[in-house]
Amino acid sequence: MKRFVVFLLVSVLVVGLMSGVTLAQGKKPKIAWCPAIDDPFYYMIGKGIADKCKELGLELFVAEYPKAWGPEVQVPILEAVAARGDIDVIITGPTSKEALIAPLKRIHDSGIEIITVDTYIGDGDYSKPSEYSFPLTFIGTDNFQGGVEVAHHLAEMIGKKGKVFIETTNPDVSSVVERVEGFKKGMSEYPDIEIVGVEYNLDVQEKAQQQVAAALQANPDIVGIFGTNLYSAQGAYQAVVNAGLTGAVKIASWDATEDLIKALKEGKVDLVLAQKPYEIGTLAVEAAYQYFVEGKEVPKRMVPGFFFFTRDNVNDPESQKYIYRAD
Amino acid sequence: MVLSEKGRERLYLLGKSWIFLFLLGEAVIFSFIGTGFFSAKNFQNILVASTTILLLAAGETFVIITGGIDLSVGFVMGLFCVISAKIIVSLQALGFSPVVSLVVSIAGTLLLGLLPGLLNGVLVAKLRVPPFIATFGMYGIAYGLSEILCNNVPIAGLPSLVGFIGNGYLLYYLPGRGFTWFAPPEGLGRGEVRALLALFPNVFLFAILVVLIFAFILSRTQFGQHVYAIGGNIDAARRAGIPVERDLIRVYMISSFFAALSGVMYTLRFVTGRADAGSARMLDSVVAVVIGGASLYGGTGNMIGSIIGTLVIGVLETGMVNLGLPTYNKYVYVGVILVLAVLIDQFFPEMVRKGE
Amino acid sequence: MPPLFIRLRIMAYSHFGYGQRFAVQLGRNWVVLFLVILVVLFSFTGRGFFSPKTLNNILLTSSPALLLAAGETFVIITGGIDLSVGFVRGLISVISAIIMRDLYARGYSPSFCIPLGIVVGLALGLLPGLINGILVARFRVPPFIATLGMYGVANGFALRFSKGFPITFLPPEVGQIGNGFFAYFLPGRGLSFFARHADIVEGEMRNLIGIVPYAIVVVAVLLLIFAFILSRTQFGQHVYAIGGNIDAARRAGIPVERDLIRVYMISSFFAALSGVMYTLIFSIGTHTQFSASLELFAIAAVVIGGASLMGGKGSIGGTTLGVLVLALLEIGFLMSGILPFYRYIAVGTILIFAVVIDQTFPEIIYE
Repeated sequence: MKRFVVFLLVSVLVVGLMSGVTLAQGKKPKIAWCPAIDDPFYYMIGKGIADKCKELGLELFVAEYPKAWGPEVQVPILEAVAARGDIDVIITGPTSKEALIAPLKRIHDSGIEIITVDTYIGDGDYSKPSEYSFPLTFIGTDNFQGGVEVAHHLAEMIGKKGKVFIETTNPDVSSVVERVEGFKKGMSEYPDIEIVGVEYNLDVQEKAQQQVAAALQANPDIVGIFGTNLYSAQGAYQAVVNAGLTGAVKIASWDATEDLIKALKEGKVDLVLAQKPYEIGTLAVEAAYQYFVEGKEVPKRMVPGFFFFTRDNVNDPESQKYIYRAD
Repeated sequence: MVLSEKGRERLYLLGKSWIFLFLLGEAVIFSFIGTGFFSAKNFQNILVASTTILLLAAGETFVIITGGIDLSVGFVMGLFCVISAKIIVSLQALGFSPVVSLVVSIAGTLLLGLLPGLLNGVLVAKLRVPPFIATFGMYGIAYGLSEILCNNVPIAGLPSLVGFIGNGYLLYYLPGRGFTWFAPPEGLGRGEVRALLALFPNVFLFAILVVLIFAFILSRTQFGQHVYAIGGNIDAARRAGIPVERDLIRVYMISSFFAALSGVMYTLRFVTGRADAGSARMLDSVVAVVIGGASLYGGTGNMIGSIIGTLVIGVLETGMVNLGLPTYNKYVYVGVILVLAVLIDQFFPEMVRKGE
Repeated sequence: MPPLFIRLRIMAYSHFGYGQRFAVQLGRNWVVLFLVILVVLFSFTGRGFFSPKTLNNILLTSSPALLLAAGETFVIITGGIDLSVGFVRGLISVISAIIMRDLYARGYSPSFCIPLGIVVGLALGLLPGLINGILVARFRVPPFIATLGMYGVANGFALRFSKGFPITFLPPEVGQIGNGFFAYFLPGRGLSFFARHADIVEGEMRNLIGIVPYAIVVVAVLLLIFAFILSRTQFGQHVYAIGGNIDAARRAGIPVERDLIRVYMISSFFAALSGVMYTLIFSIGTHTQFSASLELFAIAAVVIGGASLMGGKGSIGGTTLGVLVLALLEIGFLMSGILPFYRYIAVGTILIFAVVIDQTFPEIIYE
């Protein structure tokens, strides 16, 4: 028994060392996609990445879609992917501005380039030298501007006066924080509009629903709600529907899932901001291609736009491609 | 089943050590079908990634052996992650050096970390509250407290010394340049960085050290014997003169100590304090302990088994990422392994006994 | 399992005076008292708390927990526990949604797709319970582990079927059934049955009061049925007996294995039902938002309601009270503007309190 075990271990060692690490030869980079969380928005980015890789003939490795948002779950995945040894660039959405700096730097130092999408590390400005300026680029929606425009649209819908409420996810995630701030700035131009509260649901839809329901109770004259991401918005409109206030309360939502588009058509939601995750994914792969294959400098920040869905254009054929779909 | 003496012995050994063989098997399979799985770097990553579960499982081992369970560890970990980060930041603001802040923070956190365990222990031992309820209540309390302390925002602004220790290795080897301690050699070029070999991650080293100390306590001290006795039959233990209440309280204090330590490790690794640091790993620690051979009824289990159970999960998770397998398989596999572990633990001793 | 503490204070109780007996009754029914106190408190601290809309909210919020807790009651009375309910709920929500969606897409009428989706979902929902039951009853796997394993398996399969996206494009009637009320009342316009007043205007919608949501009716009916089963049928007696002392139950001729399997199937049936209702109410099938905390809260509710984790005690009525207390706390805190963090602390403390009280006051085993 003992001898057999020893033999087994030795042969494993030998074979393992032989198969070892294959260095990436040639100019075409092997790309790894490490999403931040399991939600339709990130799946769409993944689709953009996959399609573009196919088109350009690049190899793609897809890591798991985490069920929970946070460095504890994300970092081991990043490190496991990096340890494979055959990855040239990792595309990821850092789940924390601070906590991911050190792990990503380590991975970068071991020879793998980093592209961040949707969220960034540090303050997102990779053009000035700093401890977090090593990523190739940041590709993400201009959340602040989006928030401002949502505010303007919503203000128009409620007649430029009344009380509004913000339902959001986390106070420490760059994307939603900017949306909230943009919204507040936009609303500051309307003296008759009052923001009565901000609630954090930590990206759990049922919590969003409860929080909005309670807010409606405490402030019966709320006329507008801004849900800063898909789960926030979905929970918000459900609460409004349950309270029987559909139509009386206007809802602006961020992210165009099929659920929210359907709600828009049914009148339960009044404004949907579609980010362009597919484009984000495409741009990320293009950036990698430019850097590795063409040897070009890549802009440190790319901002694909966004698209507003209202009841007027929701059925237009050209708008359909902005909906986050599974197929 | 008709077996010879030798056969029965072999089967018994197999039954007892199957989890270790399973771990080896896993590692071997992934090394073959994975890419770059079999490397010093990857294995060390697995160790570091397993640190959280390892520490939580170590504490749970004590509790589970007494026939109890500690559901609060996930959020006690988060609570002390936040506390340790806060202490560092506050001391720094007062003008103390990073080193002093860090040392005081760790010491303070670990000391305070005994409190939830004390409470749990008193509830379980003195007030006869079922462990499930007592620790579940503590889970809620710890969660609430940790969110209040950090106002739902992760704590930032920690000195880089923290990350340096948390992500550093004991020894570095660069082919052509030799060894350096504690820090990689200065001024490395990109290509050299890739060839750099780092050995013995600090965080894991420290964790395993503490775990092994407690493994010794569990298996070789009188206190350890008491723990098993309480788990075997609490009344008999009492009648035998074992100070059951006092020992139970200590057991829960050990568990929350490990949770606090795990929180400190998180702060070191991620240079931030988050209230939800341990929420993803709560039940995994119990899974690791049970896979490692403990029974929820109490009386069996040991630290080595828990360590192996932790590694089984760690290797499985990393292996699956390495292969690019979709997430859902992992949950199914872990669930199946868990049930299998219990079944095997139950059937093997029976089979051996039947043969007699 | 550790030996049961059977408190034989029946003797002592019969010597109590009236004052003491009242205190005992109060102690045993403290949950109701607590509920009343909470309602009064929150009426002051929360704006608009004391209104039918709030009641509606509370009932709606607590339905999923109520269903899970009802199933859990059976399991806990037998001295076991079921951790898989949260993900079984998600799995069945996804499965029933997929069935409804695909059949509808093929052109079948909603009155076919929807019932089929519901029925198949519920039927499949018995499977996890069957497996759990067999593991626990035949293979003597501790319930904590068996159901924890099933939790993982259900999660994995739910992810697999849904590929991470919520299932949408269900027949539109789904939402109507899920969110409908039996009657609507508009001040000044009177009642309208099954649908809102046809010519209602935006401004009036705020005053519209929905009476008796379908969802609540379904939940109430089921609770009554199963409360009856638990307290008045032989099967129910078996459940208590198994929880009291499993060996004695076996010796008394009770088909322990068969009944245990049924108990776990009941639990996963309720979880499946909860999932189907989720799909009906939200018109989507999803699993991603469910986490372990829902089943832990369901278990907490059962315990607050008077059950003991050692088995042998508990009731559907008590469980309902437990769920209401938790839901009340949640909504009340939200409306009073108290940070959710304090709520967790409150729930944790109450839970511990509940158990300590249950143990300090004398138990009457046989009434």
